[in-house]
Amino acid sequence: MSINDFAKVCLFSQMNGVITLDGKPVTNAKLVRTVKLSKPDSDETHTDAQGNFEFPAKFTRSIGKHLPQEFASNQDITVHHNGKQYKMWSAVKRTPDENSESRGKPLVVACELNSEETLIKVNNSPIFSLCTWDVEPDKKRNVF
Amino acid sequence: MSEFSAIQAAVLADDVYALTRMNSIKQATTYLKSEHGDIFDFDEKNMLKGVTGGPGFIKTRTAFGFTLLGKGSLKGQAVILFRGTQYLADWLTNLNITASRSASGEPVHDGFNQAFKSMESKIREFMSIVAKNNVHTIHCIGHSLGGALATLCGDWLASNYKRGTYIYTFGSPRVGLQTFVTACTRNVGADRIFRAYHKTDIVPFIPTWPYIHTPNSGRDYYLPSPGIVPMAKYHGMDQYLNSVEGQSWDLLADLRSASKDDSRTVQWLKSSTPLGLTITSIEWLNRALIYVLNKITSGAAWLISSAVSSSFTLMDRLAYMLQRGVDLAENVSKWVLYLIRKIAQVIGFGKVVNTIDLTQSFIRMLLTRLQSRVHQFTHNVLSKVLVDGRAV
Repeated sequence: MSINDFAKVCLFSQMNGVITLDGKPVTNAKLVRTVKLSKPDSDETHTDAQGNFEFPAKFTRSIGKHLPQEFASNQDITVHHNGKQYKMWSAVKRTPDENSESRGKPLVVACELNSEETLIKVNNSPIFSLCTWDVEPDKKRNVF
Repeated sequence: MSEFSAIQAAVLADDVYALTRMNSIKQATTYLKSEHGDIFDFDEKNMLKGVTGGPGFIKTRTAFGFTLLGKGSLKGQAVILFRGTQYLADWLTNLNITASRSASGEPVHDGFNQAFKSMESKIREFMSIVAKNNVHTIHCIGHSLGGALATLCGDWLASNYKRGTYIYTFGSPRVGLQTFVTACTRNVGADRIFRAYHKTDIVPFIPTWPYIHTPNSGRDYYLPSPGIVPMAKYHGMDQYLNSVEGQSWDLLADLRSASKDDSRTVQWLKSSTPLGLTITSIEWLNRALIYVLNKITSGAAWLISSAVSSSFTLMDRLAYMLQRGVDLAENVSKWVLYLIRKIAQVIGFGKVVNTIDLTQSFIRMLLTRLQSRVHQFTHNVLSKVLVDGRAV
């Protein structure tokens, strides 16, 4: 670990994806991504002619990584398209590791704006989204 | 008994970290249903907002926990969940910890107490809902600072409401002084308090003595974790989940391989093996101190009547009590002598030969040194990373 990695935590892993509406690629839609560990921080991107987009990984430094405290950070992506807003991704990341959303693999999603929001839990992080990606959800504990 | 199993309590203690960060109650409801089935009633009013922030930080009101009304298989039960905070380390490394009065009038850590009090009115509101729903059992659950809040909440409920109250904590810091702990253990019931902690979790070591853990009788749930140095890793709720998975409370209680009951405390006090300042010796000293104080029963009563505003004054009082123990019959004074010898050994103070050396000021000096050494020991683990981290 180099000194630059000390206390480095990943708030959102790099995400590549394609956005569709009723199966058709959504062109030039604005995507606003917000992360929040202690303070909210937003950036944005747009889909290309094929509906593709990319968000780079988002890191921050937090001494909390080395302190006895729980990691919990918000992840949100909203799609703005034809005057409508779609909550595409809304999650609480519970581990500071990169690519925890997809168990270490690159995060590549396909999001259908006209689909039902689904909830899956990966690496103890609940993710509400309109997306699918190649990942095995956590096993349910069924304790009650 | 209708207590939650270890894994049930642990899962809820973990859930609250995600739940308090969700964007809507709808999401939280969906999450709870998906994880546990349709067993909790949950709405906007269930959110507990509390004041967070360490000493010197700007305080903001943020979601700190939830009150849940059981239904279906949990009908007749309610759950109050608390999360921890990122400011815990700041609180715990602050030397100027003062004690204030808990709901039951006993001395507790002021920071924890203030945080709980900021949520008290919400919990009171919830209790009127509880009253309308024939709830007979309430479970207070939390990890880390959330464990301290769950302890205060359980104490408050047991003092004010006639319902079965349970407390479950994971890696909780110490909440109060001996009289609080005794009162809370009695009010709630030792068999209804489930305190689970890892051997090498640093947080349960702090605030350092004279703060002690709840309950002070019955069982606690000691979870072995590797190593002998306390660290941040084994404070993680993920580690607690792993440790209790598939274990019953009974099985967990049996994990305490070196059971530190009174006979073993006596054995330790009398032994002459060399001692250093380690997790183990601190733990033994804590137990030995309580054992010896209990021998001096009138002294214990004196402690109860004293309003404690700082640990320094408390030190004086303990020194006074221990010194009184010396003046009492020989069967008490010998225990004080054993204890003082151990303390001297742990802080490397040379040999104390006999009871004549044990003046009040001498005992107070040793206790103060011990306290600052123990404090330093735990402080080092926490604040070294704190300072290093900030320096980057």
